[in-house]
Amino acid sequence: MKPKCEHTRTQVYSYLDGEMRYFGRIRIWWHLRRCPPCGDGYVFERRFLDKVRHDCTENVPQELLDRLSTFLSQQALDPPGAAPAAEE
Amino acid sequence: MADQATFQSDVEEFLPQLYSAALRMTRNPHDAEDVLQEALLKAYRGYHTFTAGTNLKAWMYRILTNTFINKYRKKSRRPTEVELGDYEDLYLFNRLGQSGATGGAERSAESEALDGIVDTDVKAAVEALPDNFKIPVLLADVEGFSYKEIAEIMDVPIGTVMSRLHRGRKALQKALWDFAEERGITGRPA
Repeated sequence: MKPKCEHTRTQVYSYLDGEMRYFGRIRIWWHLRRCPPCGDGYVFERRFLDKVRHDCTENVPQELLDRLSTFLSQQALDPPGAAPAAEE
Repeated sequence: MADQATFQSDVEEFLPQLYSAALRMTRNPHDAEDVLQEALLKAYRGYHTFTAGTNLKAWMYRILTNTFINKYRKKSRRPTEVELGDYEDLYLFNRLGQSGATGGAERSAESEALDGIVDTDVKAAVEALPDNFKIPVLLADVEGFSYKEIAEIMDVPIGTVMSRLHRGRKALQKALWDFAEERGITGRPA
């Protein structure tokens, strides 16, 4: 594998995450345009991360959200500074 | 300083995402609700320490992550820090490209093979990652946090976030490849 391809592949996640400095980013961008195998790899990784996001996002049941809202409302009615309820 | 009276309305929009993250962390709905409820209680009680106008979403995830690590993970007796093998870059892309699952001719064939991976396998593979790799993967790939935000949420250096995230993703791809082989969708005998 050519050194530029190898470099691009080690940096592909930082590039995808938008976590590279300007010149590093330009180098990767330029290589991806010129090298179809690396370009395909980049597109694949982007689609892979989209898939992870999509597949791991839950449809949260409304009744659960209602329970959590009720829980929060109860905390507001019973502030932490309030005296504890007398027991026994 | 944030006003406790507005806590509920301030955090309500994050509840679905927080629950999704809690579910992946704990791997079951009952514990997820438990961890989230405890995190909400801590956040409510500490809301006066939150600086209004700063990153509330990151603050909530920090509390959720700490609650999970401190309470739940100890209970589950899973090891705190686990090392992962370091797999090659573009692991799944390379495997799918070599396997014949893609037919070889189409440029987007590896991506088409990716569509054949079912969501239950993706969830299972994410959940099976060791926690020190799973949390950065969840925070970056599902919640969209930056490396800097994840470093603050997890209280580790940015370099550590980057290394764990990249290795976690490759391990995730390795696990998905193993699932695909078991199911015989790679073009190789299972």
